[in-house]
Amino acid sequence: MSNAQIEIQLIASLVAIACAIPGTFLVLRKMAMISDAISHSILPGIVVGFFITHDLGSPILILLATLAGVVTVVLVEYIQKTGLVKEDTAIGLVFPALFSIGVILIKKNADDIHLDVDAVLLGELAYAPFDRLLVSGVDLGPKSLWIVGAILMITIILLFAFFKELKLSTFDKGLAASLGFSPVIIHYGLMTVSSITTVGAFDAVGAILVVALMIAPAATAYLLTTDLKKMLFLSIVFGVFSAISGYWFAHWLDASIAGSITTMLGVLFLLVYLFAPNKGVIAVLYREKQQRTEVSLLTFLLHLKNHDEERERHVNHLNEHINWQKVRSKTVLELALKNNMIIIDNNIVSLTSKGDEFTTQAIDYIITNEDAQIEDMKDDFFLFRG
Amino acid sequence: MSDKIAVQVDDLTVAYNYKPVLWDIDLEIPEGVLMAIVGPNGAGKSTLIKSILGILKPIAGSVSIYGKSYDKQRSLVAYVPQKGSVDWDFPTTALDVVMMGTYGSLGWIKRPRQKQKKAALEALEKVGMLPFKNRQISQLSGGQQQRIFLARALVQDASIYFMDEPFQGVDATTEIAIINILKELRKAGKTVIVVHHDLQTVPEYFDWVTFLNVKKIATGPVKDIFNDDNLTKTYGINYKVSIQE
Repeated sequence: MSNAQIEIQLIASLVAIACAIPGTFLVLRKMAMISDAISHSILPGIVVGFFITHDLGSPILILLATLAGVVTVVLVEYIQKTGLVKEDTAIGLVFPALFSIGVILIKKNADDIHLDVDAVLLGELAYAPFDRLLVSGVDLGPKSLWIVGAILMITIILLFAFFKELKLSTFDKGLAASLGFSPVIIHYGLMTVSSITTVGAFDAVGAILVVALMIAPAATAYLLTTDLKKMLFLSIVFGVFSAISGYWFAHWLDASIAGSITTMLGVLFLLVYLFAPNKGVIAVLYREKQQRTEVSLLTFLLHLKNHDEERERHVNHLNEHINWQKVRSKTVLELALKNNMIIIDNNIVSLTSKGDEFTTQAIDYIITNEDAQIEDMKDDFFLFRG
Repeated sequence: MSDKIAVQVDDLTVAYNYKPVLWDIDLEIPEGVLMAIVGPNGAGKSTLIKSILGILKPIAGSVSIYGKSYDKQRSLVAYVPQKGSVDWDFPTTALDVVMMGTYGSLGWIKRPRQKQKKAALEALEKVGMLPFKNRQISQLSGGQQQRIFLARALVQDASIYFMDEPFQGVDATTEIAIINILKELRKAGKTVIVVHHDLQTVPEYFDWVTFLNVKKIATGPVKDIFNDDNLTKTYGINYKVSIQE
């Protein structure tokens, strides 16, 4: 690997981490779309900043663009508060307006300025190593690396300092307010960090793909864990993995790095969506199938409990009687036998004492809906896991 | 019940989009009562609690907790929001939610430590939820979730407890467990204020009641003012008929 290659992967990874942290909270706050709004409406801030400084890495530009991001949030909330339109409509009104101001400004001044819309929207990571930070003639590495690194440091410090406050206000705004942790301050803090991160990342991956880096890793992690800290950690891991694998994918295809990173994010989400152990599509389908079988089992056991007559308990009679297909009857019989709930004697089925007890408990639960008594059953049966 | 006033509300008016939902409320809640706030849907019951707790800003009036503003007395007050006001799919455990009750005494930036964890475990024990401490909150039943919320308020070790519909969507066992804890709190001299829906249980559960319907209709001891007259004034005509059904 050349130095430039390492630098590109390093920048991409830092961007991914810086995006994954606020992204996790945006996803949990159901505010994914606001990151889309921010990423577009920072454009006028960037353009105006560029007019003033002629330097995409200037702190003034970053500040102006961040301000534009926060203004977006304020405007969205203001419009929403009038009660005339819903939040998604407000977002749809605000960011195209701000974005178009940026587009017009660029086009009007296209002759004097080397800032084209493509670069802003899609970024160009491949060129990042060319723009070096030189201090009195000494090369300190790519400028973007320093910018993104600085933003990431701030994000991490804030996360460690205010983790408790972020968690509380995300989960329960009302309690946060009553305990004196102003949800408004925390909200705008998060929005400011999201804006700064977007500005810092846009240079590398462009305004559109920043959204993917914020939302996709968090959404993927959400499917895998029920612990906020693990969710943050997994988001970061997924982000970095996509950044690096995306880089090599682009290298191999000779295509856009940003596009490849996003593709990787998409592939990763798809895989987790399908194969996640609890929330994944396959796990859900399997669980539903198991639940169906368990309901059948219970129906069957209850039938046995209610009938002493032998003709009602004959193996062959069950197909017709409970109106099941052969396969289903067989599955249920086998399941009951495996769990020692029935014995089959001369084709006549009877409940064992274990089966009898199980049926009573299960019926009790279904009638009273009281959870505590069946805790031990939850491990063996899907049906009772809510 | 003592002679001290725990919560005093003066001339409180709250509006959403300039439409008043609470109008000129005067209310004195004596220390040590277990009080129900009753009224029809949209009467402003939750709004009243939220305004007292500074979550909503009133357009007029003032609130004091033991004679001082809420901001100064925060540590004396615990709040149980409506169960439906939070996302139970949030990635966290029962224990962690209860720990949130300790955040107020910690203040900004400081993290909970062993002491807070111990308090949270004790509160879980009190509501009978200790075996579920590591369970993800979406895996709890409605009644269990409500108990977690109650434990979170208990851990605050407050003097005044505000609860917004703690009996909503809970099973009978949980309802009894909750009311027993509330009665214990009262016995310990705490003041408990509950937004309540089920009029039938008011005389059995509470010793103090406030009738609310945008305006305050009446407030006082259940045995003196919980009658058809006030019910009718609060809920409209012929209330007696529907309560006896």
